[in-house]
Amino acid sequence: MALLEAENVVMRFGGVVALDDASVDVDPGLVTGLIGPNGAGKTTLFNVVTGLLPPTSGRVRFDGVDITRAGVAKRSQMGIARTFQKLEAFNTLSAFDNVRVAVEKNHRTKWKHQRVNDVAHEMLGKVGLDDVSDVTVGTLPTGSARLVELARALACRPRVLLLDEPSSGLNEEETSSIGQLLLELVADKDNDLAVLLVEHDMSFVMGVCTRIHVLDFGKIIAVGTPMEVQGNEAVRAAYLGGDEFRAGYVGVGE
Amino acid sequence: MILGLRPPVAFAALLAGVAAVVIAIFNWKGAPVTSETFLVTTYIGLFLGALWAMYATGLVVVYTTTGVFNFAQGAIGVFSAFLYWELHVNRGWHSILALFVVVAMFAPALGVLLDVVIMRRLRTASLVVQLMVTVAIMVLLLSVVGDIWEADTPRRVPYLFGIENGIDLGPSQLPWHRLIVFLVAIAIAVAMRFLLRRTRIGTAMRAVVDNRELAALNGARPNVVSSTSWALGSMLGALGGILIAPELGLDPATLNNVVIIAFAAAAFGALRNLPMAVVGAMLIGLLRAHTGAWLDFGPDYRFAHLAVAPLILLFVVIALPQARLEVGRLAHHLRRHERYTKWWEGLIGCGVVILLAVAFSGGWLDFGVWDPGAWGSRELNSANEAMAFALIGLSLVPLIGWAGQINFAPLAFAGFGAFVYLKLAGDTGNGYWIIVVGLLCAPLGALVALPAARLRGLYLALMTMAFAQAMSLIFFPHSWVMPTIGVGRQFPHIELFGVTFDDRRGFFLVMVSVFAIFVYGLVLLRRSRYGRRWMAINDSQAAAATLGVPVVWTKVVVYAVSASMAGIAGVFWATVSGNVDSVQGFDLLIGFNIVLLVAAAGVSIPMAGIFLIFIPLFTGLGHRLEDAGNVGYLVTLLDIMTTYGPGLMVLGMVFNPRGAIFEMGRGFAPILPWRSDARAEIAAENAQKREPEIGELGIERPFTPEEVIAIDRRLGILDDVVPKEGYGTSRS
Repeated sequence: MALLEAENVVMRFGGVVALDDASVDVDPGLVTGLIGPNGAGKTTLFNVVTGLLPPTSGRVRFDGVDITRAGVAKRSQMGIARTFQKLEAFNTLSAFDNVRVAVEKNHRTKWKHQRVNDVAHEMLGKVGLDDVSDVTVGTLPTGSARLVELARALACRPRVLLLDEPSSGLNEEETSSIGQLLLELVADKDNDLAVLLVEHDMSFVMGVCTRIHVLDFGKIIAVGTPMEVQGNEAVRAAYLGGDEFRAGYVGVGE
Repeated sequence: MILGLRPPVAFAALLAGVAAVVIAIFNWKGAPVTSETFLVTTYIGLFLGALWAMYATGLVVVYTTTGVFNFAQGAIGVFSAFLYWELHVNRGWHSILALFVVVAMFAPALGVLLDVVIMRRLRTASLVVQLMVTVAIMVLLLSVVGDIWEADTPRRVPYLFGIENGIDLGPSQLPWHRLIVFLVAIAIAVAMRFLLRRTRIGTAMRAVVDNRELAALNGARPNVVSSTSWALGSMLGALGGILIAPELGLDPATLNNVVIIAFAAAAFGALRNLPMAVVGAMLIGLLRAHTGAWLDFGPDYRFAHLAVAPLILLFVVIALPQARLEVGRLAHHLRRHERYTKWWEGLIGCGVVILLAVAFSGGWLDFGVWDPGAWGSRELNSANEAMAFALIGLSLVPLIGWAGQINFAPLAFAGFGAFVYLKLAGDTGNGYWIIVVGLLCAPLGALVALPAARLRGLYLALMTMAFAQAMSLIFFPHSWVMPTIGVGRQFPHIELFGVTFDDRRGFFLVMVSVFAIFVYGLVLLRRSRYGRRWMAINDSQAAAATLGVPVVWTKVVVYAVSASMAGIAGVFWATVSGNVDSVQGFDLLIGFNIVLLVAAAGVSIPMAGIFLIFIPLFTGLGHRLEDAGNVGYLVTLLDIMTTYGPGLMVLGMVFNPRGAIFEMGRGFAPILPWRSDARAEIAAENAQKREPEIGELGIERPFTPEEVIAIDRRLGILDDVVPKEGYGTSRS
């Protein structure tokens, strides 16, 4: 059984169907991809899984427990962490304090100031932001603010990490180091971490994901390995000609 | 679903029904209910409801189309009613002409002016700034009315077509005025609904608030749209004010308070649903009329029948569905390095404050105005009032300044604190009871916040206002709560460490010490995990929740802390005045002024509380000037500063949301020897100013090497290689 399962999720906004019977499952120890054209419902699915949106119908299961009705904070405490596509960093706080808020809530370090600070510094170090730890996040460039969100999510000691376009705003070098970090995190048996990744950068997706779900108009149209997904006709059709895919394939091949 | 209602709605309806029945049974007057009296009461209720519906319509129209909830709606009505009186009664214009000039010319002009000068700039501002600014406009408009039309002249606005003409209803008469009001209100609501739902401009108006950029791409002109909304809203406020004035009399405060009922009505329609808002207004009107006619609450609850609106608001808040968590807003005016006061800096600051206070009260410090030798009771009283205000102001710092939640009821909490103290320590004045006061006020704050904490911030603001009103109508007038009988001091002098502080000087020093303790506590709190968490939910509730922070609970806790501080402050305030005038002492408008001053000073900074000292300080200064025979422009100037100061300062928040103290601190910090960071920041800013202005991307002329470096630095890709020549030149 998968660690996180979204089963037959339907999400309607008035007449618009954002998710139409979508099912996604995520396993620990690997990075699962969730791709699809703009407006396919990827972020909506994240919102349903983290509890920010109550689905019209369908179930969300985490570690075998039905959490469809659980609150956002409760799910976080169970081990679901996320980043946001449209940045939701704490803009008036420093990068360090952004992470500290998460550490204080998720580590048993009551009143141990030094320990909290150590963990926060460690998380910022993982994403390579040590040198801007005391800078107010609202004044950081978008890419760095995104990394702050990642560090904050990692500080929650997640069992499932949902990343919504982590590479946007980053340059190539930074993107590949994030990819490296993700692979290291899931490879570490102590973490037992599952990652669900929404991403538009195809070479990045194909490079780090073991399994990929493809979402189009709220429906899952394909599930499989990167190779299988790239060969899928429906996926090519969804991506209008599939040039983006071929480019991605070449990227992986190099 | 229960009877087709969602569970919370059904629960709230049941609760309201049971409450209504219980209240009715226990307070039944016993007057015979005949069909005639019942009908007359009903039509009065519908008429009142229609007037409130007019206000509520204006609120809903402006809110759905601009996203700003206009607390000044009632004040616009007040101003218009006075202007109408001036033109029609004082200058003898025909009523139709006066009505036309005020409603169709003055009001829309005011609305457009407000939009162009202020409201447009509030689009991306935080809720705190938005609300504070509209409250400031309300206070300013009321002050202007008070200055132009002095209160000592009795004024009446006549009914349209006179009160005696109308339709005969048997036992009484339905005057044309009331009939017209009813029909006009309904017509306006229908027309507005049609405008918003069925017309081009209406669709554009609703679209702009959802996504301004997208709507603009589709041909809507956002600025035209928002000006139209404000003009419409202002016209509705004006019309409501003029039509309600004959019923309530031309008194600014009474007329302005009407808007609170309109808030409850608007909330009944979830602030956006126009038909439901009208239904809500009618419901409140009917309840008010029938409560007044059939129920008698006795002398202790003599104002209880006026509390219908706040109670309706409470039930609406219980019934509303849980709101989605608020996502982050753009943060403005950030500094690259935010700095929190260090613990030892806090200690030094508080020590300086206490030393100053000792010097001041001892007469060793002379500001040229105070007579040091004869620091009389009046001056000390002013200073004591100032300290009490400052303490109340401090209670708002964690709440408004850090967590970004609004509280218009600091005085209600202060009053509750005073009440608890009076009951516990009324005989002895034992100061240790103050701690218990703090502990008992916390649950009250939590209780007020609890129903609204799961909704958007605006509902919490409205809820605190409703709470303040309910307290001053139901709780404080009760003879057991605040005994007003008899003269002389009802509040004991505080006794601490075996000393009774019965002279004003000693008491002043006690309060300054408490102020210092509060400030220092806030400094520590701000640096703690709780302070951080509160700032975090202010920035993004959605993100905080995904990190495991329970958002609703966190908000409730902040309210509890704030209420606890306000309650303690209330003890000191009540001790200063000695006599608590049950209702006026905890007036909503004074509460607004305190909130405004703290906000203007920079509500995220503990020292902002000091700003509140200006209110009584100016008054005291005025007294002294008058005593010295200096009754000239100086006194007038001080008067103007006290009346208009808070409002005007808050308008400054449009451009500088972080407040005055923040800017002053920026100027002051580099002087401190240990603040090398502040000096470095200023140096960096100056360096940036010296950087060459980069032209149109090198089109006009080739880049110079300095410009290339500047561009690289701005892009964050500066490396050590400095090109020997400008890029442009080497290419050509």
